[in-house]
Amino acid sequence: MAPKRRPEMSQVSSNGHNEFVFGEKGGRGKNLLSFLKNLSLTGPLLNSHKNDNSEEINRNINSSIYGEMTYGYTSPDTGGLILPKAAASLKGKRLSLLSFFPYGLSKIDTTDGSGTQSNNGGSSRLASPLFRHATNSMSALEASLRPSSRKSGFTDLDDDWDAQIDDVDPEVAPVVLKPVARSSTNDMIDLLHPDLMAFAPSLRISVERKPSQRHPSRDRALMDSHDRQAEQEVRFLNQMLTKLTKFQNILLKNDGTIDLHELRKLSWNGVPAELRASVWQLLVGYLPANKSRQASNLMRKRSEYAEGLKNVSTQILFKDDNVISSTANSSAASVPGGRDSNNRDNSVNKDKALYHQIKIDVKRTNPSMPLYSLAATQQSLKKILYLWAVRHPASGYVQGINDLCTPFYQIFLGNYIWQLQRKAAHKTGAPDDSPLFIPGILDDNDTQEQLILEDPKLMTYTAENFDPSRISDRVTAIIEADTYWCLARLLENITDNYINEQPGIHRQVSDLRNLILKIDPELLQHFEAEGIEFIQFLFRWMNCLLMREVSVGLIIRMWDTYLSETPLGFNLFHVYVCAAFLIKFSAELKEKDFQDILLFLQNPPTANWTEKDIEVMLSEAFIWQSLYVNKGAHLR
Amino acid sequence: MSFAPSTTSVKLVLLGEAAVGKSSLVLRFVSNDFQENKEPTIGAAFLTQKCTVGDRTIKYEIWDTAGQERFASLAPMYYRNAQAALVVYDITKPASFIKARHWVKELHEQASKDITIALVGNKYDLVADDNDSDDSLRKVSMEEGKALAEEEGLLFFETSAKSSHNVNEVFVAIGSKIPEAKPVTEELGSRPGNVGRIDLSGPALRSNLSDCAC
Repeated sequence: MAPKRRPEMSQVSSNGHNEFVFGEKGGRGKNLLSFLKNLSLTGPLLNSHKNDNSEEINRNINSSIYGEMTYGYTSPDTGGLILPKAAASLKGKRLSLLSFFPYGLSKIDTTDGSGTQSNNGGSSRLASPLFRHATNSMSALEASLRPSSRKSGFTDLDDDWDAQIDDVDPEVAPVVLKPVARSSTNDMIDLLHPDLMAFAPSLRISVERKPSQRHPSRDRALMDSHDRQAEQEVRFLNQMLTKLTKFQNILLKNDGTIDLHELRKLSWNGVPAELRASVWQLLVGYLPANKSRQASNLMRKRSEYAEGLKNVSTQILFKDDNVISSTANSSAASVPGGRDSNNRDNSVNKDKALYHQIKIDVKRTNPSMPLYSLAATQQSLKKILYLWAVRHPASGYVQGINDLCTPFYQIFLGNYIWQLQRKAAHKTGAPDDSPLFIPGILDDNDTQEQLILEDPKLMTYTAENFDPSRISDRVTAIIEADTYWCLARLLENITDNYINEQPGIHRQVSDLRNLILKIDPELLQHFEAEGIEFIQFLFRWMNCLLMREVSVGLIIRMWDTYLSETPLGFNLFHVYVCAAFLIKFSAELKEKDFQDILLFLQNPPTANWTEKDIEVMLSEAFIWQSLYVNKGAHLR
Repeated sequence: MSFAPSTTSVKLVLLGEAAVGKSSLVLRFVSNDFQENKEPTIGAAFLTQKCTVGDRTIKYEIWDTAGQERFASLAPMYYRNAQAALVVYDITKPASFIKARHWVKELHEQASKDITIALVGNKYDLVADDNDSDDSLRKVSMEEGKALAEEEGLLFFETSAKSSHNVNEVFVAIGSKIPEAKPVTEELGSRPGNVGRIDLSGPALRSNLSDCAC
């Protein structure tokens, strides 16, 4: 309840920080105490999360503050706010606090799987002018806000290690921040001029919904809500700014070579969306750290991809699916299914059967996301997967690899859109972001590109609402090539998972079982008593790297960390992450029988998860890895 | 809640080539739902559904396996001790019928001797309107399916998970072929000596587990 929050408040006010000025508010005085009081007024909401009614109230407030457009809560019937029992206490607070975030947070916690989708369009607003402009006026605020503004866990090893220790206190609601795209270009205004937005009707808070607030003057409540919003806004901007600046410092450092060690350290805690494409390419070793070699290297790799594709497409015509599928049938028919009894005399037929398998899987890849039902996307995925499969015959195409392809594809597509947006913004006076661009993508002679640049809706596009068929063949080939090579690097890390008999997965499953034996022997005991075999649920966790269990937006966050591990974390580190994931549900699982355990683990309740949940899980995995790795053959 | 004394648990496994509609059949049976582009199954998925057959209730514990060849090495884990199997093919894809033949053979060789197998030709909705025309999408005739079923002693159905044609019928037919008071624990089920023997401990044990609240 509210009293638990008081010590924090008094601490803040006794430190003499009870008065401060918002940099963007034209010197209007703001009383922090009133802000905190408002925070404490949320107490009943925060603590009554078991009461569905309060969730309802909470959501109503949210939608009255932000309107349906910006606030991402889902309808109650999808269970958007129904929290898993175990985490409810902590999470209830987080959700409630989030309801005071003015914007830029609208999609934090949706259940549709795209909630925390990294979003280049949105972050582009944050990328440059705003941040640079806002820095000075806000830096003074940062110190005064710090006591109450805990950064989200493990966001930064360098600066916030201490803050993280404090975060153990569950009474301090953790803050999860995520830039998102806005659907309207008008939204540009609100970040540049928050004070204008303070008077926007859509931001008016409806205090009547809170019984305890029914009588105090409405004006006062209105001011308080402005305080809250401004406070959160400043906090949000500061976090994003600090992080972005650090990344920019590494990427733009002038000595010609990017410090990958520093980059890994920083990226482990999450990469800003607009820099993710280039950072990922650096982390997997596709984009050279030596800047003088970047352009030429990428050009070579991209033409290698094009060449490879040319060679295989003499056998397989990607565009003519009907021809392929009918011949694929007859070819598959000539191979009556012995496990490895492929007809080696007829490699063309074999390739066609392979193509058929990829084709039917691409159609049903990530069906919840519209991007993947578009013909252009499917065409690209087919090419990437097919080329990878024929060039890696020991493994070939295995179901699940199609899933692993998608984060790269959408990040790189989003990066192209972002580059276009920054280029367009630069023309109208925004700072030049081109030093941060992945080389060789934009081209003034590309007529289709010029059309997109002139599209008045350009600033609203993201990888989620843009049809890649509008992109020129030139850029499509680049996005495919970049996706191909990064996917190839990822799969190199887990080759054994997809070769015959999939020994890598069986090894991971047995490692995880041994790990659970150490960490949570009661859970293991319970599983054994119920007759659960780990492979029954772990197979998919390993084969698809949790992509079926966690929304792709959060998977992308996880990959920031996986890609920062050396060696890449998709193999060894993933086992520790799966252990953390499993143990997260330990208490519930111990109450369930065979059938319910399997049903639960096949569909774990992650719909409401935020990046914070992922980061906690990654941190636990990290701790266990440090504890158990290098301690002899602990897992064997 | 407690089960009627005549509730029988049946472990059932689905086998068949990729994308013939195994998961869709299960989704139709379990949730009476259909999704056009269902994600490929990885490894296997576990589902349960009850089904009334005559005067008793059958509780199916369903293992819906992945169709891709690479995952085939996992299949024995799932059909081991299964009392029933659905071998599914796509009536518009001849290769899937050949694959089905292979699965039937493997089940006869490796699975428990008294397993009840149903051969299921799925995607009937694709041919329902033009069954007799020359350009029909149908590539596997009903006669071929029936012939294989008779030869191997299988139940046979043509189904559509999309239109729900014949889907429940498959499970009812399997249920009525499952002997009453079948041993349900995995260890007992695999022991040849128990074939056909009435075993009271099995169902009793299972319903005790479900009624543990009392």
